[in-house]
Amino acid sequence: MRNALLALIAVMLLPAGAPAADERALEIMRQVDALDDGDNRTARMSMTLIDRDGNTRTRQIQTFIKDRGRDTLNLMFFLSPSNVRNTGFLTHDFREPDRDDDQWLYLPELRKTKRIAGAGKSQSFMGTDFSYADMTRRVLEEWNYRLLGERDVRGRPAWLIEATPASESVRERYGYAKSVLLVRKDVSMVVRAVHWLTTGGRLKYLDVTGLERIDGIWTRVELDMRTVRNKETQHRTVLRFEGVRYNQDLGEDLFTLRQLEKGI
Amino acid sequence: MAVARIRSRVESWFEALAALLCRNRFPAVIVVLLAALAAAAGLRNLVIDTSTESFLRAGDPVLERYEEFREQFGRDDMIIISVEPDELFASEALTGLKDLHDALASRVPNLANITSMVNARDTRGESDRLIVEDLLERWPDSRQEFAGLRARVLANPLYRNLLISPDGAVTTIALELARFAGSDDRSVDDALGLFDETPEDAGPRERLGDEETRRVIASVEEIVAEHRRDGFVLRTAGTPAVTDALKTALQDDMKRSVLLATAVIAILLFAVFRSVAAVMLPLVVVLLALLSTLGLMGHLGTPVTLPIVILPSFLLAVGIGAAVHLLAIHFRNMRDGLGRERAIIGAVGHAGLPVLLTSLTTAAGLGSFAVADVAPVADLGRFSAIGVLIALVYTLVLLPAGLAMTPSWAMRTRAPADRASEVTDKALAAFAGFGVRNAVPIVCAFLAAAAVAIGLAAQLRFSHDILSWLPHHWPVRQATAAIDRDLGGSVALEVVLDTGTENGLHDRDTLLRLDGLKQDIEADTSGTTRVGAVLSVADLLKEIHQALNENRAEFHRIPENPALIPQEFLLFENSGSDDLEDLVDTRFSRARFSMRVPWQDTLAYPPFIRDVEARFDAAFGDAADVTVTGIMSLLSRTLENTIRSAARSYLIAGVVITLMMIALIGRVGTGLISMLPNFTPVLLTLALMEIAGIPLNLFTMLVGSIAIGLAVDDTVHFMHHFHRYLERTGSVEDAVRETLLTSGRAMLLTSTVLTAGFFIFCLADMKNLVDFGLLTGVTIMTALIADFVLAPALMALRYRKLSRPEAAQRGDSE
Repeated sequence: MRNALLALIAVMLLPAGAPAADERALEIMRQVDALDDGDNRTARMSMTLIDRDGNTRTRQIQTFIKDRGRDTLNLMFFLSPSNVRNTGFLTHDFREPDRDDDQWLYLPELRKTKRIAGAGKSQSFMGTDFSYADMTRRVLEEWNYRLLGERDVRGRPAWLIEATPASESVRERYGYAKSVLLVRKDVSMVVRAVHWLTTGGRLKYLDVTGLERIDGIWTRVELDMRTVRNKETQHRTVLRFEGVRYNQDLGEDLFTLRQLEKGI
Repeated sequence: MAVARIRSRVESWFEALAALLCRNRFPAVIVVLLAALAAAAGLRNLVIDTSTESFLRAGDPVLERYEEFREQFGRDDMIIISVEPDELFASEALTGLKDLHDALASRVPNLANITSMVNARDTRGESDRLIVEDLLERWPDSRQEFAGLRARVLANPLYRNLLISPDGAVTTIALELARFAGSDDRSVDDALGLFDETPEDAGPRERLGDEETRRVIASVEEIVAEHRRDGFVLRTAGTPAVTDALKTALQDDMKRSVLLATAVIAILLFAVFRSVAAVMLPLVVVLLALLSTLGLMGHLGTPVTLPIVILPSFLLAVGIGAAVHLLAIHFRNMRDGLGRERAIIGAVGHAGLPVLLTSLTTAAGLGSFAVADVAPVADLGRFSAIGVLIALVYTLVLLPAGLAMTPSWAMRTRAPADRASEVTDKALAAFAGFGVRNAVPIVCAFLAAAAVAIGLAAQLRFSHDILSWLPHHWPVRQATAAIDRDLGGSVALEVVLDTGTENGLHDRDTLLRLDGLKQDIEADTSGTTRVGAVLSVADLLKEIHQALNENRAEFHRIPENPALIPQEFLLFENSGSDDLEDLVDTRFSRARFSMRVPWQDTLAYPPFIRDVEARFDAAFGDAADVTVTGIMSLLSRTLENTIRSAARSYLIAGVVITLMMIALIGRVGTGLISMLPNFTPVLLTLALMEIAGIPLNLFTMLVGSIAIGLAVDDTVHFMHHFHRYLERTGSVEDAVRETLLTSGRAMLLTSTVLTAGFFIFCLADMKNLVDFGLLTGVTIMTALIADFVLAPALMALRYRKLSRPEAAQRGDSE
């Protein structure tokens, strides 16, 4: 009888309990989203691509990023390897969900700028394990969040949050069936994540292996992304950011085709 | 005399064994049943594997190269669905195509990739824009736009024969299956656990097995059936579909042949012995032996592969032989008035040695395949030899014990078979007289026939064409023919070019050579194998170069400026397409050169492969390492191994069985001569194959060794009894007549059972199995005739001196 009563209470409480957890998860994600990341940022990014045999390729890229309203402007120049030096990319990331990002590319040997049409958020960022979506902030409203519990990440307590696409179009655009995020409590940053890809039965593992406070802003200076299928790493990318500087005097005129063709 | 002494000693051992079994019948039966149960427990681990890889032994360098290739570039064996609407470039057809594509993409399990016109990469330049998008990203909505799309698709050399037929009438959906079974349903904790695991410690990977492939094909077939309609013809082909169809055929044929073999054996046993026990006991013995053998395969992790299909009914037919010989003598002893136990002991004593020897020769015939390089044939050899020996043990233990404990009513014969017996006896006696009296012409005729047969057999050709094993009307066979006709091929030959240096494939000269090879190979129509499509990293570069130059046709080439090449590749990598990883490794040191060719008899592939190797050698010399692989190379290797294995196993079977025969008879000369009635039928069958246009393939190559192993059983019985009677009577003709009248009846019955057992395969779906069954059955019958006619003639010549009465006493001396 006592057990039955407890079960009844549990059933009565359950519908109220679940939304409470969801509310809490959303609240945590709002904190993550609200974190200051500066108006603009410059950095030297080293991109190490590691295949399943352990072969590595490293590229050095100079990056310039600037917020424009809710959108982001991004200018990148390859520094090395030498055969692609000065190849440049200019992207305008739009927060509007239905708008594809604008991308331009400059090939120095061709001396031509080409606008790349049709690049989606789920596509690979420069042949790495990161997608364009991974490189930008997620739009909060596009995801449903659920607090799964708490875990320690390298000795630091973190929230474990599940994010599922709020609609089929979000699922398609990001290429993720769901994500599980570990948000470090003390800094409100996603420090680990697992993304379930919608195709190919693969998972992507993001591990933030370097976190530093630069110019008062918590900055992820080393990120490790692994594409895993059936527990086997298929490919891996390590991004390292050096010389990170925030809130420099970067005008919007830097993010133009003229600058792209001029180089750095 | 020494041979006779040994023989009588062995007979007394067998008698002692039988007496022991009669006394301890219940414990003996229980022990055998427990052993059978323990072995049969392995049945639950038994898996089926009909994949192309299953034909090669683990560790075969060709297989290892192939696995390495797939590790790098993914699977080359795709399921190909061809879509043939009334008008492809129209709204209805393209909507149908998209619906089908979406259904496949969302519902087919273990799918690594799906490519069709819906999502094929469309790279093109429009003024200052470089567009890299899915081909049907923008849906055409006017007649003009459909016409524009058609023109664009047909003009793209990368699509020709891979995505669309040159006339634009047929398009394909290519499904690449995952190499390993997926686990999308990983729990959150399980997934998070991998953060702290090093990749090296990741669990073992299971190759996508036949069961998973079956689920994939079933799902594809279901979806295709839902979308098929008038004016929208859909066909499914590709290697996974072919191997799955073979698996279905294998399972059907295996079930059917076991049921039919059991029924035929039961009918024949009843027809001859007219007793319930004589039907039930041998059947229980052989069925237990079969279950034990298959269970043992399960325990040892040996999969059921295509050639294993013949194992069950083969074991049933062969295993029954020993029981028949024992029963024949047992019932004769009973008729002669011996008590049950005495009759059993007498039968085991009399027939024990020949039964043991015939089982050993049969096992040797089959065991000769155990060293075959074709893995499933080696497994067949090993396990059928083991099965024959298990059947022998069960027969020698269960039959005497079973006979001892059978109630009298079951032993009673239901109806006299006297008339049939009389006819049989008359015929057998006639054979005896005919053989002995016409010895010289008979031997000459057989030798002449053998000589002609050798000439014909030497012209036999080998073949390995698993598709041709399936019935003509099966959909996958028709679909493959249609796809080969419309799109130029469904089988892949892959070449991996290893430059040995990072960014070696940024080298313009290397890319030009790759492109040149493609042009040459595609244009060459001189050989037997016509290539439908070739794809390499050079094609991708040409495509992007053209797109960067406003789509002008003259820029569909490798860039003139070598410095531009890495930049264009970088652009491609950043375009979001992952197609590059299918064609080149991440270091740009190794490239894949992929050729699509029509399905042919594998015989046509080795010259083509040699030609491709020579072309690459001429183009690159020592500048790069070239490895040829792909499904086609596996098929070629299987053919090569088949040829080698056939020759080797024929040799082993011939030598081992001849040595056994010499040991049994105790005389080298007579032993060698006695093999003539066994070799001649095999030669005649090989000649028959040449005349009927049946090639030597994985199945028909088994005929010779299996037939020798079985045919020799009759010769063993003949020789064993002949020499016994010769000692007793001193007359060759009397000895032959006595032999045929006693042992001849059992030989006739066992040969009939065996022939019926093999003729059952004539009802199979798989054509190779039909050929195999027919040829083996014919060989066994020819061998029986040879034993009834040629063996007496040979013995008459061998012991011609014994026609004089005074020589009779020297019958056993040489």
